[in-house]
Amino acid sequence: MQIVLKNQPREKQKVVQGLEQFGRDHRLPAAVVQAADLALEEHLTNLMNYSLADNREHQIKVRFALASHFIIEVEDDGPPFNPLEVPAVDTTMPLDRRPIGGLGIHLMRRFMDEIEYHSEGGKNVLRMQKRLPA
Amino acid sequence: MDIRNIVTGDSCEMLVSGRIDGAGANQLEVEILSAIGSGSKSIYVNLDGATFLCSAGLRVLLQYWRQMKNSQRVLLATRPSPEVDAVLATSGFREVLVEKV
Repeated sequence: MQIVLKNQPREKQKVVQGLEQFGRDHRLPAAVVQAADLALEEHLTNLMNYSLADNREHQIKVRFALASHFIIEVEDDGPPFNPLEVPAVDTTMPLDRRPIGGLGIHLMRRFMDEIEYHSEGGKNVLRMQKRLPA
Repeated sequence: MDIRNIVTGDSCEMLVSGRIDGAGANQLEVEILSAIGSGSKSIYVNLDGATFLCSAGLRVLLQYWRQMKNSQRVLLATRPSPEVDAVLATSGFREVLVEKV
């Protein structure tokens, strides 16, 4: 399944609906769908609020596939942006002293099993995988 | 996302249902600011009906938890659903923010 959206926050709803449909069609466990939902929300928000926030229209492609894992690919045509280069946050730090922000990437890392980034033909591609229960 | 407020004196409980995504986080922030502006000294964000919490929602909880604490008032998240509790725990928020009321 592929979903194409523009860099407008309301367009994220297409991805939520597509993910729910894919999950129903393939009987994915709720925990797998929830993890993917969160990781996608975080990555798409980062794209729309930062790397694609240049007042131009951009296209984002989201693809779902099943192998031994549930695989999600997000492709965008913005400037190079590798979320894996964002430093990890220290979640043991007291909240009083915690910086506000930076938790999006942390949640993606924690809720997905594997995340890879590469640049391909001038496009950013983020590939995320979630293991399926045996 | 829907938010229903129960105001008792200077305490406000916000019953949140649905998705606290980016738009939901903005809505939650507006409601919290409104409660603060109305003089609430205690704000409890009841997450029993929340099905989703992203980092934008965490940012709002942290920002106003800190702001209220610094002015001798309180904002706490309460009764998280399992989905929301997993996000709070993974982010190191659960122990500090969540108390039952």
